[in-house]
Amino acid sequence: MMPVGNLVGMVVRNTVRSPRHFALSAFGIVIGIASFVFFLGLSMGVRNVILGKIFPLEVVEVVAPRASFMGKDITKKLDDGTVEMIRARPEVKEATPRMKVAFPAAGFGMFEGQEIKFEVGGFCDGVDPKVLADDPKLAALFKDWEAAGADDPAKTVACVPPVVDDKGVAGKNPCPDPEFYYCDVQDNRCHRRVPVIVSPTLLELYNGQVASTHGLPVIGDLEQFVVERGGLARMRFTIALGETMVAGSAMATSDKKRRVEGMLIGITPKAMPIGMTVPIEYTRRWNQEFAGDEAASTYSSIVVTLNDKDRLAVFSAWLQEQDLRLEDQLGERFATAIFIVTTLFVLISFTIVTISSINIAHNFFMQVSERRREIGVLRAVGATRTDVKLIILGEAALIGVIGGLLGVGIAFAGAALVDWASATYLPRFPFKPPTYFDFKGWIIAGGLGFSTVFCVVGGYLPARKAAKLPPAQALAAQ
Amino acid sequence: MSEAVIKLRDVKKSYGSGAARTPVLRGVSFEVARGELIALVGQSGSGKSTLLNIIGGLDTADAGDVEVLGHDIRKIGEKELAGLRNSSIGFVFQAFNLLDHLTCLGNVTLPASFTPGAKDVEARGLEALRRVGLVELAQRHPSELSGGQKQRVAIARALFGAPKLLLCDEPTGSLDSETGREVIEFFRELNEKDQMTLVIVTHERRVSSVARRIIAIRDGQLVDGEELALGAPGDAGGAGAGGPA
Ligand SMILES: Nc1ncnc2c1ncn2[C@@H]1O[C@H](COP(=O)(O)OP(=O)(O)OP(=O)(O)O)[C@@H](O)[C@H]1O
Ligand SMILES: [Mg+2]
Repeated sequence: MMPVGNLVGMVVRNTVRSPRHFALSAFGIVIGIASFVFFLGLSMGVRNVILGKIFPLEVVEVVAPRASFMGKDITKKLDDGTVEMIRARPEVKEATPRMKVAFPAAGFGMFEGQEIKFEVGGFCDGVDPKVLADDPKLAALFKDWEAAGADDPAKTVACVPPVVDDKGVAGKNPCPDPEFYYCDVQDNRCHRRVPVIVSPTLLELYNGQVASTHGLPVIGDLEQFVVERGGLARMRFTIALGETMVAGSAMATSDKKRRVEGMLIGITPKAMPIGMTVPIEYTRRWNQEFAGDEAASTYSSIVVTLNDKDRLAVFSAWLQEQDLRLEDQLGERFATAIFIVTTLFVLISFTIVTISSINIAHNFFMQVSERRREIGVLRAVGATRTDVKLIILGEAALIGVIGGLLGVGIAFAGAALVDWASATYLPRFPFKPPTYFDFKGWIIAGGLGFSTVFCVVGGYLPARKAAKLPPAQALAAQ
Repeated sequence: MSEAVIKLRDVKKSYGSGAARTPVLRGVSFEVARGELIALVGQSGSGKSTLLNIIGGLDTADAGDVEVLGHDIRKIGEKELAGLRNSSIGFVFQAFNLLDHLTCLGNVTLPASFTPGAKDVEARGLEALRRVGLVELAQRHPSELSGGQKQRVAIARALFGAPKLLLCDEPTGSLDSETGREVIEFFRELNEKDQMTLVIVTHERRVSSVARRIIAIRDGQLVDGEELALGAPGDAGGAGAGGPA
């Protein structure tokens, strides 16, 4: 074989010498690789947003399907027994129950000088505080303070709840640590505010929809926002247990009514998507108090973390035998949709690249016939068949590498254009990302690799033909 | 020394297959000793180029023995054969066969691309150009040269590897008679001063006049050189390789 340096030099010279041939051969590859890299980068980017932020795929949620038989509700009850049964499954890593507030409740408070009101009943989940174990900062605040603070000296402080004036504004907080405590109306003692977490989904909805239409500030980083507003106490609101915002609610809760204070402590995907989330002991106690034993021992769902996402089918089949099912996995659906769309685009890209490869074969066949005499000269001065083959294959590979780089470059430029257009012309919407693309290393490596491989494959038969050409015949060519 | 540089025994070659099969060489045998200058003559289509190509390993014989510079051309591997062409055999063609995208120097040093560990490539290339008197045109491209200059560059390329054997297929066929005369004079010099062995396919009497021996071929077989008429002078021009096909 000829020395590699000479081979490379000759390949580069030959490529530079015929820019037209290069352009004709590389064009399709550039388009194919550009679309391959662009669409894979796009689907990875969209996937990040949808599966990473909107519908995390990390966990599944088990619910009991509503069922009735002859007018009788026979919906399976999710209780501690069910949780234990699920935990015993080999494919399950962790199972934590969630309990909804099962009676009417409303929330209200002041936010940025505006009075806000929202429904809590049905939109409030209790979760095991353990689910926040991987976020120590939040976990330190997200506790059942009623139980945890049994020896809390602040709890023994007697207080008189501040009078609420006709505008709904409460007077001075009499508790010693007003940042965290409020004076509870039930026992006239200071209580720690109920810690509340919300989901990034809710924050995005607020930022994208509510903030702009109501002239409220967009919240970027909650922690910073809280500090700017003067501490967590500013994130407090009242939870009116037994009251409702829904006019004409059938659930008339005439006698029992009581108010507690809650405090937004953080944003985490562990919180329910639309609504607020508190430690489960609060909802258990409230359900007990307002809806009875049954409500206090029935979970609304059980959040299951699987050992392996691929064992979901096994788990799902088992669930069906237990008359249970998985809550609609929007993430799973989107993942499937993204997968299908990605596959489609990758197929289209591959079709383009394959056609380009055939086109390259065609161009190289023409080149080989046009350059017969040149090939003959090379053989006459000492090139072996292998040398001739390597020269042609090298030219094809170089087209692949340059075509691939150009394709990747065009994909990047296209992505930058889309991101710029989105940032400049699209209004803010929930989860609007700064970029729609995620060009992972393997996408770029794959793009360059496919480009080179397909070009070499396209150049293979012409290279073989060139190598097989008897030198005397090649030299006789006109 | 009378050591044989070329030994052919009963070399046969035909083209095509089946009914279209036409024998071109029908059993050619001869020897060329080192330092000989041979004129290979014969009418158009008689098989001169075919024979020269077989000697140079650019084409393959169907039968017979072909020994060149001590190598059995029909048996050695493709790699060895390429090596032989690279450094021991030089070719000069009627059509020059220079590569237009390379400079004259690039054309002359082209064989070095296929020589592992080639040294002093540029210096040797310039030296080869100097020998043919074109060192000042080293950076020009072939398209900027006259026919005679082109052929001299092609000869420089053939001489680059200091070959022991120079095979020339109608080297003056594309040149006017004056330029052709110079080229032939150069060959004679190579033969006399460098003891280089040359086989020159030609139609021209002039070549045969400088040749030590004339090998004549007719219908694929050798005939007595002295008896073979080289054809009328006017015949030479119209009998170029290929012709209007
Ligand atoms: N590749 C080929 N395929 C088929 N026939 C061929 C091939 N090469 C040569 N021939 C035929 O072989 C015969 C001898 O050809 P060759 O080129 O050796 O003749 P030549 O003596 O060199 O003629 P010229 O003086 O015209 O160059 C011719 O009839 C030619 O048509
Ligand atoms: Mg000929």
